[in-house]
Amino acid sequence: MSEKKMARSFYEASARERALGLVDPGTFTEFLGPRDRMVSPHLPVLGEAVEFDDGIVTGIGKLGKRPVFVISQEGRFNGGSVGEVSGAKMVGTFRAALAAYKELKQRHTEDFDEVRPVIAVSFETGGVRLHEANAGLLAHAEVMDQIQDAKGKVPVVALIGSKVGCFGGMGFVAAAMDVVIMSIRGRLGLTGPEAIEQEMGKEEFDAADKSLVYRTTGGEHKYILGDCNVLVEDSLDAFREALAVAAALPYEELASWNRIGSPEKVREQIELVKLAAELNPADSRDVWRYFGNERADEYQDMTTEEFLAAAKRREGAVGR
Amino acid sequence: MALTELAFTFQGQLGNTIADDWSHTGVVGSGDLEVLMEKKEQEGHFTVRAVTPVRGYDEVWEKVLAKFAAESGIGDVSMEINDNNGTPFVVSLRLRQAWKKAKGGAER
Amino acid sequence: MTESLVGRGREAIDMIVDGGSFAENQVGEQSFDADFGPGAVVGTAAVNGKCITVLANDAEAINPRFPVVYFGVIGMEEAYKMAQAVYASMEADREKPLREKHPLLLLVDTPGNGPGKVEEIFGMNKATGAYQLALAEARKAGHPILAVVIGRAISGAFLCHGLQADQILALPKEYGTMIHVMPITSISRITKLDVELLEELSQSNPVFAAGADFFYRLGGVEELIESPEAMRTAVLAHIEEIYQKKESGHSEELGPWGRGRLGEARGGRTARAAALAKLQEEYEAVAENYL
Repeated sequence: MSEKKMARSFYEASARERALGLVDPGTFTEFLGPRDRMVSPHLPVLGEAVEFDDGIVTGIGKLGKRPVFVISQEGRFNGGSVGEVSGAKMVGTFRAALAAYKELKQRHTEDFDEVRPVIAVSFETGGVRLHEANAGLLAHAEVMDQIQDAKGKVPVVALIGSKVGCFGGMGFVAAAMDVVIMSIRGRLGLTGPEAIEQEMGKEEFDAADKSLVYRTTGGEHKYILGDCNVLVEDSLDAFREALAVAAALPYEELASWNRIGSPEKVREQIELVKLAAELNPADSRDVWRYFGNERADEYQDMTTEEFLAAAKRREGAVGR
Repeated sequence: MALTELAFTFQGQLGNTIADDWSHTGVVGSGDLEVLMEKKEQEGHFTVRAVTPVRGYDEVWEKVLAKFAAESGIGDVSMEINDNNGTPFVVSLRLRQAWKKAKGGAER
Repeated sequence: MTESLVGRGREAIDMIVDGGSFAENQVGEQSFDADFGPGAVVGTAAVNGKCITVLANDAEAINPRFPVVYFGVIGMEEAYKMAQAVYASMEADREKPLREKHPLLLLVDTPGNGPGKVEEIFGMNKATGAYQLALAEARKAGHPILAVVIGRAISGAFLCHGLQADQILALPKEYGTMIHVMPITSISRITKLDVELLEELSQSNPVFAAGADFFYRLGGVEELIESPEAMRTAVLAHIEEIYQKKESGHSEELGPWGRGRLGEARGGRTARAAALAKLQEEYEAVAENYL
C-alpha cells in the first residue's frame, strides 16, 4: 500500500482506544461506560480523584462472527489498579461472556466453533488498588474464579504491551489465561522492579536499569521462556490480528497453550523451577543462552521481526 | 477530606450543542482530566460540574471555563469534569479538544 | 489459653487433626520429596476419622535453593508443591460421589510470595496462579475447601493460599493474626496519603484497614473463631456446612463469589453488587445484536 497509515501504537493507546481497536470497527458497545458514572466510592473519602469508568473499559465487540468480550485497563488512572468497582467490572464481563457462551452453544449446534465467544483482557496494572486494598484483593480472587469457570468453554486471552505492564496480583491472573500475547514493550511479572531492589539490594537488582528490567519481565524474555505465546509488533492492528488468529484456533489447541492449569503443565513448570535452581541466573541472558540463543547480547537492540527470526524458545513453549 | 465539587452556569448560544447525545474525552491521569458532555435543552445554558481534589481554586476554574464558554459559544450542554490536579493550561486544552470532538460527532 | 499461632503451622495441624494421624508428604497416590518446597507442608490426616488433605506453611523452613523463601514465604517450589497436592487429592477421588470427595484444609500463615530476581525471571506469577487454579478446580469438582487463618495472610500469598477456598475462618487479632495487603504505613508511603488520616479512616472504613475483623465485614472471612482451642470444632462444623451447600446446589454461596455476596449482605462491599447488576443489565440489552 502506497499510503499506508502510521500504525497506531498499542503502548501509547488509552484503555478505550485499545478496547475499540481490538474489535472490528463500529462494533464496540461499552458496559458501564463514563455515562454510568460508576465511580469508586472509596477514593473521594481519601480526597483522591475519581474517573467515571474507574480506570477500566469493559464491553463487547465483534471479530468477524465472533463476540469478543473486552476488558481494558487504564494505566494513567491510579496505575491501572484494581478496586471494588473496576474489579466487579472485570468479573461482570466474564459472567456476560459465559452467558453468551451458553446461549450460542444452544443456537449453534453445527457451527459453534465459528461463533465461540472470546474474552480479551488488555492489562495495564500493578494489581490491587491500595486506596481500597482489601476490596481490590477480594476482587482478584473473584477474577481467578471466573477464569476457572471459563475453562473448557470460552478462551481467555491476555494482551500485554502498555506502559505500566502487568504486575502484582494481575500478574498471576494473566499467567492463568489460555493465551498471552505481548509486544517487546510489554512487561509481565509479580513483584515490580522497585520491590525486588528493596528486597535484594541495588547490587543484585537495579530498578533504574531499564534494560535489566526489560530482560527480566519483558516480552522477549517471556517469549523465549514460553510465558508469552505470541510476540507481536507494538501496534493495535498487530494485537487485534493476533487475537483474531488465536480466537479462531480449534479450542482444544488453544487450551493447550496455557502454562498452568493442569497436573501436566505443573509438572512441566516444576522442571523449569529445577532449572532455575541449577542455573541460578544473575541475568535473563544466561537463561536465553541456555536455550540456545548465542546472540543473546544483541536481542535488545533488535526489532521485533529480527528478534523473532533469531530467537530460540524453550522446548515446550507454544504459540505462533 | 473529600473532593471539591464546583458548579457553574454560563449563558451560551441557543442550540450550539454537541452532535450526539453525549461525548467523552480524556483520562484522569496525574495532572489531567476527563470531560463528559451531554446534550441538554436548557435555553442555551452551558452548565458545568467539576470534581477535583484541589481546594481553593474556584475562581481560576470559573475564569478558565468562562473563557472557553465565550470562545466556543457552547450552549445547551451539561458538562461534567473529573480532574486530578490539571493546570489551567491543561484544562483549557482538554476543553477545546473535548468540544472539537463532540461538535464533530466523532466515533466513540 | 494458647498464645499466638504465628509461625507455628505444624502445631496448628496437631491441634485440629486426630492425634498422630498426620502423614506428611503423602497425598493420595503421590509422595512428595521432603526437600522440595520446604516452606510448604502438605500431607494427609484424619479429623474425626475422616480423611483430609492438609496444606500449611512452615515458618521455620528455609529453602536452600531460593533464599527469599523463609518465615513462611510461598516460593515457586512451595506453590507448585501445593498445586500438586490439590491435584493428587482430586485424582484420588475422581470417581467418587460428592460426600466422599475428601476435604482440603488450608492453614494460612504466610507473609508473601517469593519476591526475588530469579523468581521474576522464571515466573513466580505462574506458580501462585497454578495453585489458585488447582484450588478453584477442586472446589468446583466438589471437594470442600476450608481455609483457617492462624497467623499472617498477606496480599498475594493470601490470594494464593486462602482466598480460593469455599469458606475462610480466622482467629481474631488478639492471637496475632494479620490479614492485609500492606500495613497502613506502607500504603501511606506509596499513595502519599497522610498516615494519621488513613488510621483515622480505618476505624470506620474496612476497605483498606488491616485485620481479620475488617475482612469479616467485607465478607472476605466467613467466621471469626474465638480461640485456637475452638478450631477443631469449627473446622468440623464448616466442612459439614460446605458439603451441605454443595449437595443442595448452593455453591454460589461458597468461594470468592459467595464471599462477594456476603460482603454485600454485611454492608462492607455494596458498590460491587451495584456494578455487577448494572453491567448485566447493559449486556442483556444489547446481547441480541451480538449473538
